[in-house]
Amino acid sequence: MHTLQRKFRLSATCIALCSAFGAAQADEEVDALIKPESSVSVGVGQWSGDRHQQGIYDGQRDGKAYGLIDADIVRRDDDSGTWFRLKAHNLGLDNGEISGEYLRQGDIGVSLEYNRISRDNPNTFNTRLQGIGGATQIENSTAGGKMNPVTLGTVREQSNMGFYKNLLPGLDLNIAFKNEDKTGTRPWGRGGSNNFAEFAVEPINANTRQLEAVLNYTTKLFQLSGGYNGSWYDNKYNQVTIAAPGSAVANARNPTYLSVPLDNEAHQLFLNGGYNFSKATRGTFKLEYARATQNERLPGTPSTGSGGGQTLASAPDRLDARVDTKLIQLGLTSRPVQNLSVNANLRYHHMEDKTPVRNFASAGDSPDYVPFSYKTFTGKVEGTYRLDEAYSLTAGLEEKRQDRKLPVTVAGTLKDVVVPMRQDLNETTARLELRRTLSETLNGSLSYVHAKRDGGRYHAADVVSSNGVVNIENQVNPLNIADRERDKVRASFDWAPSEVLSLQFNLEQGQDKYKTSHNTTPDYGAGLSSGKSQLYSVDGAWTVNDRLKLTAWYAYDQSKARQSALRADNGGGNAGIKSYDLQDSGNSLGIGMRLEATSRLNLGANLEWTSTVSKYNQSMATFNGAAATYPANFDAGLEDIKNRMVRLSLFSVYALDKKSDLRLDFIHERWKTNDWSWLYANGTAFTYGNAAGLDGTYVTADPKQISNFVAMRYIYKFQ
Amino acid sequence: MKIIRSAQLLSILLGLWGAIIAPAGAADESKGLVLKGDARCTSCHDESDDGKPGFLGLSKSVLSIGKTKHGTQADGRTPTCTSCHGDSNKHADHKGSDKPPKPDRTFGKNSSTTPQARNETCQTCHQGGKHMNWQSSTHANRDVACTSCHSVHNNGHDKVRDKKAQPEVCYTCHKEQRTQMIRPSHHPVPEGKMACTSCHDVHSDNPKALAKSSTNDTCYTCHMEKRGPFVHSHQPVTEDCAICHQPHGTTTANLLKSRAPFLCQECHSHTSHPSQIAGLPINGGSALGTTQLGTVGRGCLNCHTNIHGSNSTMNSATAQRFRR
Repeated sequence: MHTLQRKFRLSATCIALCSAFGAAQADEEVDALIKPESSVSVGVGQWSGDRHQQGIYDGQRDGKAYGLIDADIVRRDDDSGTWFRLKAHNLGLDNGEISGEYLRQGDIGVSLEYNRISRDNPNTFNTRLQGIGGATQIENSTAGGKMNPVTLGTVREQSNMGFYKNLLPGLDLNIAFKNEDKTGTRPWGRGGSNNFAEFAVEPINANTRQLEAVLNYTTKLFQLSGGYNGSWYDNKYNQVTIAAPGSAVANARNPTYLSVPLDNEAHQLFLNGGYNFSKATRGTFKLEYARATQNERLPGTPSTGSGGGQTLASAPDRLDARVDTKLIQLGLTSRPVQNLSVNANLRYHHMEDKTPVRNFASAGDSPDYVPFSYKTFTGKVEGTYRLDEAYSLTAGLEEKRQDRKLPVTVAGTLKDVVVPMRQDLNETTARLELRRTLSETLNGSLSYVHAKRDGGRYHAADVVSSNGVVNIENQVNPLNIADRERDKVRASFDWAPSEVLSLQFNLEQGQDKYKTSHNTTPDYGAGLSSGKSQLYSVDGAWTVNDRLKLTAWYAYDQSKARQSALRADNGGGNAGIKSYDLQDSGNSLGIGMRLEATSRLNLGANLEWTSTVSKYNQSMATFNGAAATYPANFDAGLEDIKNRMVRLSLFSVYALDKKSDLRLDFIHERWKTNDWSWLYANGTAFTYGNAAGLDGTYVTADPKQISNFVAMRYIYKFQ
Repeated sequence: MKIIRSAQLLSILLGLWGAIIAPAGAADESKGLVLKGDARCTSCHDESDDGKPGFLGLSKSVLSIGKTKHGTQADGRTPTCTSCHGDSNKHADHKGSDKPPKPDRTFGKNSSTTPQARNETCQTCHQGGKHMNWQSSTHANRDVACTSCHSVHNNGHDKVRDKKAQPEVCYTCHKEQRTQMIRPSHHPVPEGKMACTSCHDVHSDNPKALAKSSTNDTCYTCHMEKRGPFVHSHQPVTEDCAICHQPHGTTTANLLKSRAPFLCQECHSHTSHPSQIAGLPINGGSALGTTQLGTVGRGCLNCHTNIHGSNSTMNSATAQRFRR
């Protein structure tokens, strides 16, 4: 009896506790699943060595310690549907970003973001140039001035603001504003007075602003989106002056004036609409009108005479540039019968340069301003027929016709040009694709695209015949206007032989054939004659068990270009025709592993490996049949360039408790290249200027980089 | 005894409290566990049934939709389970221990719902604004479903909307771009400072699914200084940046498709030094002229440095050829 009573009491207590705390526990469990999560991560990491190439964008270029601070704090007030979000990434690095958002969902929202993007040039420039980063630079001869190692790079500091307001049911206003200050330096150069290359540095100090205001009206049948896009570019500099070596007197240093991009702006109005005529048929339209201008005063004035200013007395002091762009697009998608869907599209895009044609100089080949305008009509129709539950067939045809304005002189006559041009360019593209979908084991597609481009007659380049060649300017068919036939085949298959294994195969082949001749006399058919590309890849994912997952991928890609070019008889070389056989190929591999080692410990590993080879084969046939000759002190053989990168990343995440983790990272990274861009053929550093004492800048490109990274982070999670 | 009585009293009080609060959620079926009126679904798909998101991402969490914008019930526009999955009566009314029939519409990898039907479901709400031209986009016409890229029950993290994680989603199909992005010269996509959608609007029908109506307008959003116009314009620059650049990545500096002089000689053929053969000066021991400088360093750009256009008004052919 005693026992029974006690049992009853214990059961009653147990039931009572379960109903009270059980519900609370269930609520907690549900909350964990349905309430937004937040996390804050604080740590420190150390790279063992400099990462000149691999660290160009990630803010961790130098071998040193870095603070690692990330946060994603999300709160939602469930009663009002209001979100508060604070997100920070890489706060301890040079490319940190932080953003905040307030959003009453479906009603009003504001967001702010600050973001830095740093870009470091991987090379070191050893130079005597002074004033780097400014608009006045002073070059010193090799006889004077100290050689300084300089690293160049830019930083973009972006401040973004967003605003959203639901004005009426179905009517939303979105405003986005982006302000960016870009500062830093970029390698530049100039042809010296004696045809030597001399080093210069472009100073970057510009502000850009972009504003977009959009009204979206949406109903089930009809949708409309219209608004304004504005963008402004404001360069602090309008010219850079580089004083040449020589006299200690500034005026006698014969400065070179290098122009820079000037302030410009663009304003666009747009309207985009869609109407569902029925459940199966939808029509859309797009209208855009944009006006871009560049009216900043050109450096100098006619009265300043020579130097950086205008040297043609009658020249206007502004370009008064204006480019108008119009877009009209009509679209129709329909499913006229159950198994057939059709997509048709008509597009008119006209970029018209309305800048007045005026003279800004009197010397040289092209003293007049040259406006380039492009009017493009595109018509497309594409149909997909579902053959059965699994297979569907898509066929499409696209016709593009482009009217390209040819350059004219101030007098309105056709202008002499240095490269042949074309007024009309047309391209027809046909595509066919067979797809298999909705299968649990094998899905994929097989597609073929054929495109043919041709156009009207050529506006020939100004003919100059000298140095053993005749009409050489017209012996080339520029790649962007040459007649071309393009074929592309692509096969892609997703195969899941079992629930735990999936494989993906991709094969892509492309071939371009260019017509190199355009009926010139003589006609050696120079230019790009063919291009080939191919890619083979396989991806796999294997869930070994419910604690271990492996992924891997491998890809081989190759692109080839065959082209030829005429060579004139000058500088120590005899006239003839060169044949180039260029090739870029790459092997890439990625392997990943994720392991739930214990209930508290997760492990991960990633391996990335890539190896590329660029080949520059060339041969030369001379017109006179003699062996090819080359300039003095010149090697026409170019070694293959090989780049190799391997990165092994290991990490572990250990749960200290329910709310906090400890994460350890280890990365081993290797980079190697034999890129000869900044080398003489004998392996020594290429030097700007000449042996007579000009410039002397040389560039150090680190061909090898090995670095290890260790990091530890404490991660706190909460809801 | 006093202690026992106190415990009993406490048990009764706790029991009453439990009885009061426990059914509160169940009684108000219209409120639901995670979405409005989801009681019919969450009576089975509750926390004990939920495949809680794990490190390997093997299990799918149904309830984690609650962490997303879709799960914000205070917003009257948010869906119920059946808004997307259909009434699914056969699925919901299934009795027995065997696997129930699938809901009317499913969105997972092995879904038997056609991509069009899946997309129509999403477009019930997402048809306006940026999704206006989805039906005529290349993706829509290649049987890509919204859920091929977006994860709706996503533990609050839709990878494709995360700048750093997005490329991994795009590389599921775009293998060529995956190999190009790991080339030495690339945009900062692998570093997470840009995403594919920085340049592409995959919901639109613009050429190449670009964010703007032309290649150049897209590039100008970050490279506005190239917009010009310049006193001396370089024709291909005004036409299409992609004539010379491969934006996804190359082995040549500045994302050039090919290095100088090969790239330049695809258009330029002249009597003088532009027709030079490619090669390197052997050393700097003797005078270097323009016929030797088209490959080394920045190649032709050693001198023709303002290749995107020049604003120089110097009365010299030098200025017109982008050297000033």
